[in-house]
Amino acid sequence: MDGSLSDAMLLAAVGERDLDAMRALYDRHAGWLSVRLARRCNDPDMVADAVQDTFVAVWRKPRGFRGDGDVAAWLWGIAIRRLLSRLRTRTDIVAVFETAEIAPAAEDQVLLSVEYGDIGQALARLSPEMRAVIQAVVLDGLTAKEAARLLDMPVASVKTRLHRAKAHLRAALAEGMS
Amino acid sequence: MTGWHVDDDALRRWIDRTDSLSDGASVEQHLLSCDRCRATVNATVTAGPVAGLVDLTTVWSRTRDAIELPRPSAFERLLRRAGLPEHEARLVAVASAFRGAWLTGVAVVLAFAAVAGALGHSRGAVVFLLVAPLVPCLTVASSYDPEVDPALEPELVTPYPALRLILLRTITVLAVALPAEVLAGLLIPGQARYLWLLPAVGFVAAVLALSTWTSPLRAAVAVSLAWLAAVWLLMARSGSPDAALHDWFQLGYLLLAAASLAIFLIRRGHLRELRPRRS
Repeated sequence: MDGSLSDAMLLAAVGERDLDAMRALYDRHAGWLSVRLARRCNDPDMVADAVQDTFVAVWRKPRGFRGDGDVAAWLWGIAIRRLLSRLRTRTDIVAVFETAEIAPAAEDQVLLSVEYGDIGQALARLSPEMRAVIQAVVLDGLTAKEAARLLDMPVASVKTRLHRAKAHLRAALAEGMS
Repeated sequence: MTGWHVDDDALRRWIDRTDSLSDGASVEQHLLSCDRCRATVNATVTAGPVAGLVDLTTVWSRTRDAIELPRPSAFERLLRRAGLPEHEARLVAVASAFRGAWLTGVAVVLAFAAVAGALGHSRGAVVFLLVAPLVPCLTVASSYDPEVDPALEPELVTPYPALRLILLRTITVLAVALPAEVLAGLLIPGQARYLWLLPAVGFVAAVLALSTWTSPLRAAVAVSLAWLAAVWLLMARSGSPDAALHDWFQLGYLLLAAASLAIFLIRRGHLRELRPRRS
């Protein structure tokens, strides 16, 4: 497949039932999608199912992409929701939101301040529960209801934790500025 | 694309899930809009096995299989939702009675007769009363006759209780055919609009019973011919087209249904012969 075709052009070709374009799209995106999903769910089979569901959904409705924004962001929106609906049928698997905490190296500090400023450090000081909620709602773009399903907690708890986490972050940032 | 890229070590830590949440979040945000870094991730993931990650080649072949398989029909999905297990929904849904042409043909004939009857042509009413009792048994017969439905062959060579398959299909065929007929029959004036129901039930049962001896379609044709001949004889004698639907005839259809069902259940062991002989 021609590497110069944009994702949107590939999607248009998928709309014409072009399996090669589908394969090219898969090769470009399945890798990072599977890693990002694996960071949310520690069951590889579940992640594999979610990746498969995602691309099957793309094949069935490639027109779902409206043409605004990145195809990658659109794909992530599908993938995280596919993972959610797979998780709904299994109660024995718990989503993971914890990653090993290691002290950020000097170049990472630079990276963080480039992308997020001091938010990186403020995030690191949040409790694990609050971070999970922030990640699901703010970073993954889920609704409070979807986040509640993913984290297996009541919607009300998601909302309170989100509220508190935002207050913490605001306080931490204000402190950093003064 | 900004010209700024995540360095390889940070990407590697993201893939291995050894970075912090905030680092990970920043990598993820960048990946959404950066072809180059995504390509680096893909290359790393496909180059060597990473612990806890999925095998992308396997997932692709499964995805391709799922794509190339025809999507279950709307009817099949409805059956699934009604609680039938997947393989049974498939078995029931592939019944040829649901192939559009057949049902459309039946609907057109019925509608034609019903409209003619409603407009006051007695011939239209006669046609409706002649055809209506036969439609259910013909659709049921064609829904599981191996000669009509080649898809049945691979289905029946797997061990599966033939009785269950036939009853499931009969019920679903009737669930489609009967309401359509009742609707068409509403156009017919007078009592006649529901008088065909009992003979229809009797004929379906008779076809089920006869199919323990012969092929279901042959049974249905035999029943139809007998019915047409009987109606024609009665018409010649009494002059009234719907004589065969009145009075004690109805009791006869009820008895026919009961007797046929009994025969069908007693002889259900012979249904195994439905299974096509291996050539």
